[in-house]
Amino acid sequence: MQFEDNYSSHISQQFNDELEQIRTELLTMGGVVERQVHDAIEALLSGDADLAEQSRKVDKQTNEMELMIDEQCTTIIARRQPAASDLRLIISVSKAVSDLERMGDEASKICRHAIELVNDGESQRGYQEIRHIGSLVRDMVKDVLTAFARSDTELAYRVAKQDKSVDQEYRTAMRSLVTYMMEDPRAISSVLNVIWILRSLERIGDHARNMAEHLIYLVSGTDVRHQSLKEIKKAVREDLEK
Amino acid sequence: MTSEAKSHAIDISSMQRENRTLQLDNEIHTLQVQNLKLRYGDKEALHGIDMLIPKNRVTAFIGPSGCGKSTLLRCFNRMNDLVDGCSIDGQILLDGKNIFDRAVDVAELRRRVGMVFQKPNPFPKSIYENVAYGLRIQGINKKRVLDETVEWALKSAALWDEVKDRLHESALGMSGGQQQRLVIARTIAVKPEVLLLDEPASALDPISTLKIEELIHELKKDFTIVIVTHNMQQAARVSDYTAFMYMGDLIEFGVTDTLFTNPVQKQTEDYITGRYG
Repeated sequence: MQFEDNYSSHISQQFNDELEQIRTELLTMGGVVERQVHDAIEALLSGDADLAEQSRKVDKQTNEMELMIDEQCTTIIARRQPAASDLRLIISVSKAVSDLERMGDEASKICRHAIELVNDGESQRGYQEIRHIGSLVRDMVKDVLTAFARSDTELAYRVAKQDKSVDQEYRTAMRSLVTYMMEDPRAISSVLNVIWILRSLERIGDHARNMAEHLIYLVSGTDVRHQSLKEIKKAVREDLEK
Repeated sequence: MTSEAKSHAIDISSMQRENRTLQLDNEIHTLQVQNLKLRYGDKEALHGIDMLIPKNRVTAFIGPSGCGKSTLLRCFNRMNDLVDGCSIDGQILLDGKNIFDRAVDVAELRRRVGMVFQKPNPFPKSIYENVAYGLRIQGINKKRVLDETVEWALKSAALWDEVKDRLHESALGMSGGQQQRLVIARTIAVKPEVLLLDEPASALDPISTLKIEELIHELKKDFTIVIVTHNMQQAARVSDYTAFMYMGDLIEFGVTDTLFTNPVQKQTEDYITGRYG
């Protein structure tokens, strides 16, 4: 289905502007959250407590943006009674901002644990896993925002697929960290911080996948939540063949 | 699932929406339109329409002015017979019989396929006589039958409580919304099978409009309803199926919920989202 440049063709110019505005604001918020995730991981890996502290402060901003965009969505529904792709845009944006906000929360949690780890000055056990999973998750966040910007469902599908790899890596990392804690109980408190961080990264991946699913719904009209990757792929392919 | 797990599961079948199970193929069809072409003089207004109107459902026709939706609606009870220079090809089957057949009694057809127009058109008679009119011209004059039918029709049209104490007052003293419901009562009093509504609420205020919409929802239990409306939100609210017409063609016809959230045709999408110039 031809989807790009579709928000500028309403009879009402004002309606065009409103839809374009929430789409732009979603991407702006996405940019802020992407930065938050990036900084949280960077702060941890480089032991930069100041950066972690700064990044935590940004969370307030993402919360405000969520409220503003959601309010705008409600207003458009009330005033315009949107239908079809316009309606799907508003529903998807409203859901996507919730996911973005949650990603911001998780990034904030990572910062909090990073500060604790930096202050404890303990060994960097588990950092390799954080680096690896962190890189996968950052790619997912970047890709899902690109997918939203370009209405690219194939890229959204790849994000959903990447989430599977993240989940797998997360389980593997958990096993090795649990083994480590059993071997050296003195390291438990610092390893627990690492575990919480990995958990947050894994959750960020889940939210990116949710956003990818919202985008596929927005573009194709098919609700792919709670579907297998195979079914998501089928929906994306069918839409591209339209 | 183990039996223990089963016992903890909640029955969510009641959450299934009726509209999710709607499918045109599973319906009984009251009207079947087959390759219907209509010309006003040299100008072809309908270019070969094929469609099925499902029984006991509300079917809405939407589309820009001049797309042929009212013309098509008027075919269902041969109102176009009254238009000079109008010629029709193809057929419409009502319960399997072609309504354009020579043997068809047009008055009887119009009893079976009733129509309500945009502007309420009560007769300058009492409320009672308006509703009883159709029965009287059928030769029914027994007071008991008339009383019962008038009461039933006014109740069905959600008007009884408002008028039961002034049945013999003039219908012209009623409000626009009441008049429209009276006209609906008059139409259903003769027990038609199909109810055609041509912009039934476009001259009414929002509250009266909602009453008419509520009425449509109630009436579909007994009648097959076809409604033409310019108000897309109204079509989305009241209908089970929606047909989008454009320049004399049927562009898309499907379950209303799907048509308004994920239409198949780009023309439909453009129209319902306000992208038509």
